[in-house]
Amino acid sequence: MTVAPRLSTLLLAAITILVAALLYSPLFVPIVSSFFPVARGEVDWSSPTVSTYVALAANHEILLALRTTLVVGACTVVLSVAGGTLLALYYHGRRAGRSLLQFIIFLPFLMPPIISGLALLIFFREIGIERSLLTVVIGHTVFVLAIVYRTVLTRLQSMSRTLVEASYDLGATKWQTFWRVILPNLSSAMVGGAILAFALSFDETMITILVTGTQTTLPVRLWAMMRLGFSPDINALVALILMFTVLLCALAARFLVPRQIATQRS
Amino acid sequence: MSGTGSPQPLNGRWSPLVTVLAFALPAIFVLAPLAIFLVYSFFSVDQGQIVYAPTLANYARFFTDPVFLPVFWRTIVLCLSVAAISILLAYPTAYFLTTLEGRWRYALLMLLMVPLLMSYVIKIYAIRSILGLNGFLNKALVALGIITEPSTLFVFNMNAILLTLTLLLIPFAILPIFLALERIPQVLLRASDDLGATGLQTFLRITLPLSMPGVASAASFVFVLAIGDFLTPQMVGGISGFTFGRILYSQFGTAFNWPFGAALSVALAVVVILAILAGERFGRNRGTSH
Repeated sequence: MTVAPRLSTLLLAAITILVAALLYSPLFVPIVSSFFPVARGEVDWSSPTVSTYVALAANHEILLALRTTLVVGACTVVLSVAGGTLLALYYHGRRAGRSLLQFIIFLPFLMPPIISGLALLIFFREIGIERSLLTVVIGHTVFVLAIVYRTVLTRLQSMSRTLVEASYDLGATKWQTFWRVILPNLSSAMVGGAILAFALSFDETMITILVTGTQTTLPVRLWAMMRLGFSPDINALVALILMFTVLLCALAARFLVPRQIATQRS
Repeated sequence: MSGTGSPQPLNGRWSPLVTVLAFALPAIFVLAPLAIFLVYSFFSVDQGQIVYAPTLANYARFFTDPVFLPVFWRTIVLCLSVAAISILLAYPTAYFLTTLEGRWRYALLMLLMVPLLMSYVIKIYAIRSILGLNGFLNKALVALGIITEPSTLFVFNMNAILLTLTLLLIPFAILPIFLALERIPQVLLRASDDLGATGLQTFLRITLPLSMPGVASAASFVFVLAIGDFLTPQMVGGISGFTFGRILYSQFGTAFNWPFGAALSVALAVVVILAILAGERFGRNRGTSH
């Protein structure tokens, strides 16, 4: 048609590119500096190096924090998937008190982390639990539970009732129906929820800072180191973590997204 | 939804145990901590010891002390600005996404969401180095001739907090606006076109009003996330960039006044709840297309 629509599309595209550049700029800084030496804000493009990666392998403090993060993440995944699935199965199809309980589960996710974290901090102090990795795991689980619950519940609601009815008609008991019909149908939602839970736990910083003991997770370790400035090997770690999380995200998308888009389209 | 038809295997023998768990878990790990926290805001501190006697002194101090209310309002204005700037950048981006064809649309949306996965702490650190005196932003501005020499305008002050929070939170604004725009029925736009409206008229009278729920949700998300953040102001705010979150955090660290910190948290919670309710109220009306 006229020039105006094309011009506006160009403008929109320009703004989108600007936003993408803004969003990715903080990602590129550490990745570039993991391969090239940086001095006084100038990147020395002439001498690529992997020395930062070698240095990382020798940084025991960071590797220990990374291991702690993975352990905390694994515990959080197990607890939140078990708890979230249990709550979803229990609340599903129930009327009494469901919206209230649902609201309570979502509170830690909706409230600013500083409030959830401080509430847990005071709670642990009052009931006499020392701050440790256990309190971190509890904090993370309380935080991510809503996400797993929501994911499993959504799948449960989209599941056809005829599947369960057919199972009963064919003479299956409640437990047989649960293990052979319901659980297999929920499994991909549970895996998706588990990945989301792990990703959230992996990067959780604000609640962790408040409830952690002496042994702590990677983000909190990095936070403590940041005041002094990072050594170059941290950049290598960041690059690796980014690759890992993108991979994880792609995996989560495979388990969660296609189905949702498919239902939207139909 | 009840009866044999719905998938409810958790009845029968295990039922009592499951019922107890389903009610006890949220009660113990969510309600109890929040309730204790609320009660704490009515206690006081004497020589490093918490006095377990009810008092309104913390709230009186919050409202009368010349320090806290100004910081409180300033933080609210800061976070509203973050929300406004995020939306100004996110709206055209989300709009552009909806003009793309199916596969490209979601690929680009994913691409814009990926930075959310990156470690929060690392992003703050990287942004700080970009904004810094020797950072990329200053270099670019000097190279473009906008300023003659590196400026300290973006380090360790409120501007730095504003820019950093915006950069961190834009994806949370893109997503709800995109979803709202995507749900606008194409037939409405075609009808408007058929009736002789120009592209701008169609946008102003149909697209913009119908996407406002998404904008409201985006504003609420970004505001809540910004006001609850105490790490970013701590890291890029320096001495002059003092926000409510930092004051709150300091009550549990250096100042060691947990009850007063709890009272400040209640004030923060009130603002957050109001923002969430506002987002819910104006973000409703989403199902227009179906």
